[in-house]
Amino acid sequence: MSQSRVHLWLMAPALLLMLLILIIPIFAALGLSFTNYSLGNSGANFVGLQNYEQIFTRTTYQKMFGATIRYVFVVVPITVGLGLGAALLIKSLTRFGDLYKTIYFLPVMAALIAMAIVWEFAFHPTIGIINSTLEQGCGTVLENWGWYANGCERTFPLWLTDRNYAIWTVAFIGIWQGFGFNMVLYLAGLTSIPKELYSAAEMDGAKSSWERFRLVTWPMLGPTTVFVVTISFIRSFQVFDMVEAFYPQGGGPSKSVYVMMFALYEKGIQQNLMGIGAAITVVFLVFVMLLTIVQRWLVDKRTHYV
Amino acid sequence: MANIRLSNISKRFGNTDVLNGIDLDINDREFVTLVGPSGCGKSTLLRILAGLESADTGTVSIDDTDVTRIRPADRNLSMVFQSYALYPHLSVAQNMLTPLKLRDLSFPQRLPLIGPLLAKTEYKTLYQQIKNTAQILKIENLLDRKPGQLSGGQRQRAALGRAMVRDPLAFLMDEPLSNLDAALRVHMRSELTQLHQRLRATFVYVTHDQSEALTMSDKMAVMMKGKILQYGPPDEVYHNPQTIDVARFIGSPAINIIPGSTDETGCVSLFGKSLETHVSYPHSTLHIGLRPEHLSLSENNGNSFPGIIRHIENLGSDLFYHLETEGMSQRIVVRSSQSEGKRLPLGSLTYFKAQKNKLLIFGESGNRLTVKSQKLAEVA
Amino acid sequence: MSNFDTSQRIFRFSSSEAIKHVILIFGALIVLLPFYVMLSYSLKAPAEIMQNTGGFFGTQEPFRDDYCIKLGNAVADCMVTPWIYNYQTAFEKAPLLRYLLNGILVTFSIFFIQVVIALPCAYALAKLRFWGRETVFALVLFCLLIPVHAIALPLYIMLAKLGLTNSYAALVIPWTISVFGIFLMRQFFMTIPDDLIDAARMDGMSEYSIIWNVMLPSAIPALMAFAIFSVVAHWNDYFWPRIVITGNRDLFTPPLGLREFKGDADGDNFGPMMATAVVIVTPLLVAFALAQKRFIDGITLSGMK
Repeated sequence: MSQSRVHLWLMAPALLLMLLILIIPIFAALGLSFTNYSLGNSGANFVGLQNYEQIFTRTTYQKMFGATIRYVFVVVPITVGLGLGAALLIKSLTRFGDLYKTIYFLPVMAALIAMAIVWEFAFHPTIGIINSTLEQGCGTVLENWGWYANGCERTFPLWLTDRNYAIWTVAFIGIWQGFGFNMVLYLAGLTSIPKELYSAAEMDGAKSSWERFRLVTWPMLGPTTVFVVTISFIRSFQVFDMVEAFYPQGGGPSKSVYVMMFALYEKGIQQNLMGIGAAITVVFLVFVMLLTIVQRWLVDKRTHYV
Repeated sequence: MANIRLSNISKRFGNTDVLNGIDLDINDREFVTLVGPSGCGKSTLLRILAGLESADTGTVSIDDTDVTRIRPADRNLSMVFQSYALYPHLSVAQNMLTPLKLRDLSFPQRLPLIGPLLAKTEYKTLYQQIKNTAQILKIENLLDRKPGQLSGGQRQRAALGRAMVRDPLAFLMDEPLSNLDAALRVHMRSELTQLHQRLRATFVYVTHDQSEALTMSDKMAVMMKGKILQYGPPDEVYHNPQTIDVARFIGSPAINIIPGSTDETGCVSLFGKSLETHVSYPHSTLHIGLRPEHLSLSENNGNSFPGIIRHIENLGSDLFYHLETEGMSQRIVVRSSQSEGKRLPLGSLTYFKAQKNKLLIFGESGNRLTVKSQKLAEVA
Repeated sequence: MSNFDTSQRIFRFSSSEAIKHVILIFGALIVLLPFYVMLSYSLKAPAEIMQNTGGFFGTQEPFRDDYCIKLGNAVADCMVTPWIYNYQTAFEKAPLLRYLLNGILVTFSIFFIQVVIALPCAYALAKLRFWGRETVFALVLFCLLIPVHAIALPLYIMLAKLGLTNSYAALVIPWTISVFGIFLMRQFFMTIPDDLIDAARMDGMSEYSIIWNVMLPSAIPALMAFAIFSVVAHWNDYFWPRIVITGNRDLFTPPLGLREFKGDADGDNFGPMMATAVVIVTPLLVAFALAQKRFIDGITLSGMK
């Protein structure tokens, strides 16, 4: 209390900006979501819940939720699983661990938009490296696999332009880009597990590596896992760069890759339907907030004060 | 319960020899302490005994069975760690249940939720075992707590409980008291000794604290630079150290080491005075060890040595005078009991004498020399 | 027995270790695949790309630049070496250098403003006692949850109303407040002993000079980590620039430039486009290679939430 009012001066710029850039826009979005506002119009009409009604009834938005949920629920478990798996493998190596760590981290650093364009080439149906590599496998044992034989006989999938494959291909790129980040978080988590716990587990009769994992590694990684899962959710909900680069005109083959951030961009920016865009924003924020609340709750529950 | 034999154990980490041909026999029901300065290899030796680390050469046998190639989980030893290594996400009871579960129950019985239903009676007996152990350690009321909610002493007990609960062949303890505060440490020493008597089990205890070794063990092995310098009962090690390093390491305050020499007959002299003690090494320089309690202040007479009081260490029951003597950079520490008259002021000149039969004579190489003949009178 | 031990030591080979390497190498190949493709295509001639020939470097045989001929030059003058052609076109067809400079300008402005705003606030939250401190900190924790991308529409409307779209300001303004930065620096300042600040006050320093002369120097490691976190995020950001920069190429950041390139790409331009991608991706990857540990720590720091 003795420091007079200096704290006000220190915090004022930050608080002001927080208010202007983070808090007010949330309420603005909430307000706009009940209107049919468009940029350039002088005013807007109150339309009640109409925007939300559209979001939850129209097929376009059902496709949006479908694509988003498919993407998120494929990408999150796999990036978390691969991140953990890679971290465990790398940690258990006697050498070259750092090399793998560096390699797996490269996609995290590289601009996703650039890498997405490269992947688009790689997945190109005719000149892409993926299909041309697959073609070389034709005539080998791989043809015993029905899917593969089919590909050899006719064509291999069109990947990004095939509506049965598009969302999974995009998800694959998302996994490629994201698991290195989770791996690094898990490696940090693994390093902080005291070595003596493993000795204790060994003395207590935990013979297999699975038992040691169950008894020590997994519980000790609890807080890391909660964080990794949450951040993976939030990151994958925000997928945008790839979708916009691959499908500038609306969300991929039969809108199968019409993810939320793209819908928000398309409705709000491209079509200037700010009301509906704001409603998508609100739905999006509710998702993120719910997730974070679940995370906080899990962390509080699982924190063991070592 | 078991006897343990380590033979010819060696271990290198990179270019450093951590252990160098260690042989050690531990009898059934003995409390054996491995003591030495940090980096002497004592913890590594214990971990090799436990099986947590493998030796480069040598064998470990328990009850005359070679267990060198057997993994720790199958050696049936239990260990108390310096950091206690309790599983932080499990309650004390679950911590104690873990070793029982992993040994006594089959895989389906160990499954969460289903396991306890499958094996109700088994779990009941295990919990009874846990209760009994908890009773001995007086931690029944802590069984439901997590390690994070316990004080240092309580964690110590919980770790002991986890080690005790399954009746191992031997207990291995790696500096288990070093994370406790001083008062609790002294208290736990006596508790551990009592526990040892009660369990009648083999204890192997690692510490860097020589006073713990002296107070608790049946036998102590003094280790330095990867070797056991001396192995024997604490009294033996204290009063009869075989090398100057052992003499220096054991005892607090530390032993006084005073340079001495012998004449042509092998007669030892100290500060130029003959001690009428002979060794079989004429014309050589020696190190003479005298513990503070074997020195006392005296009057100035023909057999006493002068010294100036530079520091007085008051331990309540005893006073230790640190004396500066001519020709020695090291101060000589002399014990004097409080009752022994008045305190002398700092800076004053005084005289001290030595009990001749307590002389420990070491050669230049640091090995103990035997006394050939001695006139058993005080140097006074 | 002892022989057994030494032999194990010499042949460090173990089958489980080998299997792990096989799995990890397989993963590494997939991870590296697009980097390989990108670099390789940026060096090759169009024909080689289309026919998938020429290996990694391509044959580097000069080929005929049709565009050059269209401009009425002689065939002999229009023979170009593929990799030179690709990179030259990347820089000539679009003002790539300008994009890079824009990227640097925007990224560093963002970081600089973030620090200037966040540091005093973090200091107040960590080291000053005042009524309402807990409330402010709770507000910070709440704002930590808001993904700025998600509230892009209202922000865009605000900037449009102010007439700020298509300006550097539009690229920078939404990122001037980094709640994460406040949080991170506050956690770091908590670890700095109060005595140091009291000593500075006894020496007659003002609170501002304490922040810039005492706290800032001691917070360099945390600040470096935050810098890496911030620069990586904004150099690579595509979503926000895409929204506020429409059409005015002079304001493009590198990701926008690349996107634009892709938009006009026809068959012949794969090479130059990949060259552009290489140019955009390389600065961060090189920085990463030079200071790997710092980068990984910096990115991991977001794990402190």
